[in-house]
Amino acid sequence: MIKLENVSKVYKTGTKALNGVSLYINEGEFVYIIGSTGCGKSTLIKILSGEEAPSKGRVNVAGIDLVKIPNRKIPYFRRNVGVVYQDFRLLPKKTVFENIAFALEVVSKPTLYIRQRVREVLKLVDLEDKAKAFPEQISGGQQQRVAIGRAIANKPKVLIADEPTGNLDPEKSEEIIRLLERINKEEKTTILMVTHDKALVEKYKKRTILLDNGFVVADLMEGGYLSRE
Amino acid sequence: MSNFLHDIPRHFKEAYHGLLRNIAMTLSSVSAVTVTLVLIAVFTVFAMNISAFTKNMESDTKIHVQIEDVIEESKIPSLQEAVEKIANVSEVTYSDKDAELDAFIEVYGEHGELFESYRGEANPLKRAFIVEVDDGDEIERVTQDITKIPGIESALYGGTNVLAMMDAFNAIRSGGLIFVLCLSALAIFLISNTIKLTITARKDEIAIMRLVGASNGFIRTPFLIEGMFIGLLGALFPILITIFGYGFLYNAFNGVFFSEMFPLIAVDPFVYQLSGLLAFIGVMVGLIGSYISVSRLLWWRR
Repeated sequence: MIKLENVSKVYKTGTKALNGVSLYINEGEFVYIIGSTGCGKSTLIKILSGEEAPSKGRVNVAGIDLVKIPNRKIPYFRRNVGVVYQDFRLLPKKTVFENIAFALEVVSKPTLYIRQRVREVLKLVDLEDKAKAFPEQISGGQQQRVAIGRAIANKPKVLIADEPTGNLDPEKSEEIIRLLERINKEEKTTILMVTHDKALVEKYKKRTILLDNGFVVADLMEGGYLSRE
Repeated sequence: MSNFLHDIPRHFKEAYHGLLRNIAMTLSSVSAVTVTLVLIAVFTVFAMNISAFTKNMESDTKIHVQIEDVIEESKIPSLQEAVEKIANVSEVTYSDKDAELDAFIEVYGEHGELFESYRGEANPLKRAFIVEVDDGDEIERVTQDITKIPGIESALYGGTNVLAMMDAFNAIRSGGLIFVLCLSALAIFLISNTIKLTITARKDEIAIMRLVGASNGFIRTPFLIEGMFIGLLGALFPILITIFGYGFLYNAFNGVFFSEMFPLIAVDPFVYQLSGLLAFIGVMVGLIGSYISVSRLLWWRR
């Protein structure tokens, strides 16, 4: 599903963000990406979501070559990759239902389908009773669930979650992890989660990739964090 | 295509919200378009009528072609044929010495009788062709071509003044055109700024649209519609001025500008054609202005 071969990224400022990274992530996998600040996690996400092009190497996500893809086709590629951020990025003037529907409206899905799919998603993220609420009327954890709902509304093959629990307390963070696990299982979505949360990585063990200074320094198939960092 | 049609109501709704969101900038852009289009309307009315005047003057002008005295009467038909063959010559009328004297006498009115004594052998006037052309713009060239024919003494038309007037009119037209183009550029700039404000107000929404895979066309269309609306709104007042103002002037002047020599262009269909042109220019100015802003936004840098 995700294939990186010898990928490097050097910004115009001369900063080397990634150094010859090679990764193979299969369809349906749930993988953590961990590492300290400045280790290249953000750049990796930007490359995988088509926001940045690598300086060197080959990148293939959901069957699409992200080195050769013309810029005008990036929006169509993005429909295959859902992205969730730490700060939720919801539209404050839209209700929970409308925020999720927005992702389907802007890719021109028919109205009836949108209604049906948003109901499915609301059920999946367990927010059926909050459909008419505005973001400011719900908790942080619920807002993140709306953001996840919006990211998966288009049934992407890959979901990238960038520190999705960064603004949440431990209890809410576990709720998010369990939700992502459910999406991974029920929607067959490949999930890549960038996190700093050692406790979560330890408790919900999954394949863990450790980045440091732009290099992949460990790829732990059985998971774990503290013992290997 | 079906997606595009499906999205049209949404695009119009977004464009409408955009217009209202920055109402002050919208009004300033509409005003800029209005001023530009009023000037374009005035300029076009002026230029089109000037063109009509010059056409009218030129079409009324005939070339007076004098034939050399040595040419025998029997050669006249072949000479006339040579003149007729010149491009844009529509009619050639032969005028013998007597007819020339008649015309001369007519010009002098009641004093013309004095010249009756020149009739017959003493008539010093030359035989002539009166040549009409089908396109006023070609009159100078036709005159020169006729002069080159052997047996023709001279070819004249009252064109020197007409040409000088036309040159002056053309200079005014060119200057006016540059002025109008500068104003259009200003209107485009203002509209582009208004759209920029709308983009800034919606930047979070646009970022999410890009995040979830909205195509550039989908993001761009509401802004283009908003720009076209601004252009169209700006065209309303100039269109009203054109229709009612020109109609009023036309009636006030009885369809002519001081003299029968300068007939004004009839109101119908002129004002409606000009109104269509103004609406089109307004929409295009709006479209270009918003396209400039939104293209910068959608420029993908990877």
